[in-house]
Amino acid sequence: MMLDLLGLVQSAADTASSAYRSFPGIGARGAVWIAAQVHLMFAAFVLGVPMFAVITELIGIVAKDSKYDKLSKEFTRLLVFAYSATALWGAVLVFLLTTLYPQFWTHMTGVFGVSMWIYVGMFFLESFTLYLYYYGWDRWNAGRAKWGHWGLGLLLNAWGTAVMFIANGWLTYMMSPPEGVTPLGLPPALTTWNAIANATWMPINIHRLIANAVFGGSIVAAYAGYRFLAARTDEERAHYDWMGYVGNFIAISTFIVLPFAGYWLGREIYEYNQQMGVTMMGGFMSWLWIVQAVLIGVLFLAANYYLWIGMQRIPGAERFAPYTKWMLVVLVIGWLVWSTPHTMIASREELTAMGGSHHPLLGVLGVMSAKNTAVNIMILTTFLSFLMYRRANKRPTVPWAGIGTVVQAVMFALSAVVVLGFGVYGYFVEAIVRIGFSVYQVGAVLACIFGVTIIDIAMGRGAESRGEIRWGQMPERSQYALFVLAVTFTWLMGLMGFARSGIRQHWHVWEVLRDNSPQAATPALGFAATMISACVLIFLGLVAFIFWLGGLAERTMAKPDAAGGA
Amino acid sequence: MLATNLKVLAVTLLVVALYTLVARSIPQLESAVPEDIALGAGVTPQQLADAGERVYTGAGGCVACHGLGQRAPNLLTDHAGEGAIGARCADRVAGQTCKAYLYASLTEPGAFVVDGFDNIMPDMRRQLPIDQVWAVVAYLQSQGGEITVTGSDIPEAEAAAAAPAAAAPARSATSDPRQLLTENACLGCHVIDGAGPPIGPSFDGMGTRIGADRIRRGIIDPDADVADGFGQFAGMMPKTFGDQLSAAQLEIMVQFLAGRR
Repeated sequence: MMLDLLGLVQSAADTASSAYRSFPGIGARGAVWIAAQVHLMFAAFVLGVPMFAVITELIGIVAKDSKYDKLSKEFTRLLVFAYSATALWGAVLVFLLTTLYPQFWTHMTGVFGVSMWIYVGMFFLESFTLYLYYYGWDRWNAGRAKWGHWGLGLLLNAWGTAVMFIANGWLTYMMSPPEGVTPLGLPPALTTWNAIANATWMPINIHRLIANAVFGGSIVAAYAGYRFLAARTDEERAHYDWMGYVGNFIAISTFIVLPFAGYWLGREIYEYNQQMGVTMMGGFMSWLWIVQAVLIGVLFLAANYYLWIGMQRIPGAERFAPYTKWMLVVLVIGWLVWSTPHTMIASREELTAMGGSHHPLLGVLGVMSAKNTAVNIMILTTFLSFLMYRRANKRPTVPWAGIGTVVQAVMFALSAVVVLGFGVYGYFVEAIVRIGFSVYQVGAVLACIFGVTIIDIAMGRGAESRGEIRWGQMPERSQYALFVLAVTFTWLMGLMGFARSGIRQHWHVWEVLRDNSPQAATPALGFAATMISACVLIFLGLVAFIFWLGGLAERTMAKPDAAGGA
Repeated sequence: MLATNLKVLAVTLLVVALYTLVARSIPQLESAVPEDIALGAGVTPQQLADAGERVYTGAGGCVACHGLGQRAPNLLTDHAGEGAIGARCADRVAGQTCKAYLYASLTEPGAFVVDGFDNIMPDMRRQLPIDQVWAVVAYLQSQGGEITVTGSDIPEAEAAAAAPAAAAPARSATSDPRQLLTENACLGCHVIDGAGPPIGPSFDGMGTRIGADRIRRGIIDPDADVADGFGQFAGMMPKTFGDQLSAAQLEIMVQFLAGRR
C-alpha cells in the first residue's frame, strides 16, 4: 500500500511538462480546488468573526454588560485556533500552485510580486494584533485600557480587510484582467495597481465583506448550538442559547443585504465581458442558479423555523403563533417559484419535446418577474418573523402605539403590493424595461425594512415587559436548524466559488493565459457538487476539531481556578 | 454526548448529501475546451459538419444562447417561421451567399444582429481556431440546407485571418440610404418610422437632435459621443462602418439621417 502510494507520488513528480504537473489520485485541479476552497472558508471565518467580536465588545463597554464582553471573548478564542488553520491551508495552496501550475504561478508572481510581499507583511501585523487582542483581554479590561483594547479589535479588522482586498486583487485579475495584458505579463503602460484595481475587484471586495459576516455568524451560531446541546447546567444552556440567537441574527440580517452586492458583481461581469456574463447566467452554468435557489430556500425556511421555535420561550409570543403557518405557506410557494427553471440549455430533442424553448407551464413561473417577486416576498416574510420575535414580550406604552402598528402594517402591505404589482406588470413589457423593475421591488422592500424598524425602535422605548425571555428553554430540535444553516451557508460558499472561477472556463487568466492542462475543461455541476461537498466536510471536520480544542483549553484554564476556589 | 455527536454528524451528512444529490440529478453540462480538430484541405463536407456539431455543442459555447430563443435566434429549430438556419441563411442579406453570411456572422456578429436581440456575441475567431469556425459554418448549413463549405475554404480563411479586412463581405454598391441601413443591420438596434428595437437612438427626428457632423462621427466612431439614455449600450455598435461603407455611401447615410426631422 505504502509502496503504491510512493509510486504514485514519484510518477506525479516525474511528469515532464514544465507548465503542469500531476497530483496523485485527485489530480492537480482537484488538489488546488480543495486547498483553495478550504483556505477560503477558514479565511471567511477569521475575517467575519472579528467584525462582530468588535461590535459585541463595544456593546458590552457602552451598556456595561459583561455578558457581551464574555461573548466577544468567546468569539475571539475561536478565532485564535481558526487562524492557524487559515494560514496552513494558505501555505498548502501556494505550495500546490507553485509545484503543479508553475507557469501560471510565474505569470502571477510577475504581475503581483510586490503586492505578495505587502500581503505577507500585513499578515504578520494581523497575526500579532490578534494575539494582542486575545491575550490582552483580561489585562486591559477596564477604563481607558479597555478602549485601547477595543482599538486593537478595530485594527485587527483593518488588517484583515486589507489582506483580503490584496488577495481579491489576484483572483479578480484572473477573471477580468485589464486590457493589454499578455501571457508575458503587464505591458509597460500598466502597473500592478492597474491589475489589482480591475473591473470586478471592488464588487468582490464588498460581496466578500458581507458574505464573511454572514458566514462567521452562521458558524458561531452552530458552535453555540453544539455547546447548547452539550451544556450541563441551565446557566450554560442559557448562555449558548443566547449566543446562537445572536450569531444567527447577524448571519440572517447581513445575508439579506448580500444579493444586492451580488447584483452589482454580476452587472460588472456583464459590463466587462458579455460572453462571460452569459456563460454565468445562461450558459452551461444556468442550472447552478436553480441549485442556489434550492439552498437559499432552505436557508429562509431554517432561519424562520428557528425564530418561530424561539418564540416559544418568549412570554407573549403565543399571540403571533396562528400566523406562522401562513408565513410558512408563503415561504414554500416563494421557494418553489424561485427554484423553477426557465431558459435552460436544451438539446434539439428536448426543445421538440417541450414544444418550444420553454416549458409550457413552468416557463411562466421561471421568468425573472416571478423570481424577483418570490424572493422579495420571502425577504419580507422573514423580516416579519424577526419583527414578531422582537416584539413578542413587549407591550408598548407610547400613546401612538396603535397608530404606529397600523402604519407598520400599511408599510408591509404597500411594499407587498409594489413587489407583486411590478412582478405582474413585468410580464407585459420588454425585457429591458422589466430589468429596471427589480430596482423598484428591492427599493420597496428596503424602504419597508428601514421604515418599520425605525418605528419599532421608537415604539419600544419605555415598553412594558410581558415577561423575561427564558433563555435556555429551547427544544433541542431548534439547534439542529442552526447546523442546517451553517452547513448550507458553507455549501453555498463553495457553490458560488465554483461559479466565480468556473466562468473563466479554460482560461487561467481570461483570454490572456490559457489553461492547457489535462483538466482544463470546466466540470459539470454534478462533479463540482462532489468537490464542494468534500471541501465542506473537510472544513467542518477541522472546525469541529478546532472547537474541541477550544473546549479543551477552556477546561484546562478552568481547573486552576476551581482549585484556588477550593 | 455520543448520541448528540452522532445526531449532529447525521444532520450534517444528510444536508450535504441532499445538495449533492440535487446537483447531480439535474442535466450535467461540461464546458469543454476547444479541441484540436485538424481539418486539412482534403476534408469532406460531412466531416466538417460533424466536427462543427462537436464545436457547436461543446467548446464553441453556441448553445448557451442559440436554442433558448431569448438571447439569440434559434438556429437548429425554427425562428420566426423561417425554418432552421441552413434553410434561411441565404435570404438574410441580399446578394450574400449562405456560406458568406454564416462566416461573416461568426466573425463580425455585430454587423448582423437579428431584430429583437442584443449584440452580445463575440468574434468567434477569438474563441476558436479558424478551421473550427468553418466547421461550425458547415454544421449550420447542414441544418436545413446544403453544405457548400469545402476544405479549400480553410486555407483561404487562414489567409483572411491574417488580414481580416480582406475577408469582409463584398461592399454593396447601393446608394439607397434605406437599403444601406438595412444592409448594415442598423435597423437591428435603431427605430425608424416608429418601428424597431430602441437599443440605439431613434432615427426618427434625428436631424432635430444632432447635426450631420455628430451623426458622421457616431457612425465611424460610435463610442465617441454616447447619446443620453443609451450609456448602458455603449460599446455595442460595431466600429467597422468606416471600412464597410464607401465615402459616398457614408455621406448619403449621414445626409439621410440629418434630414429626418
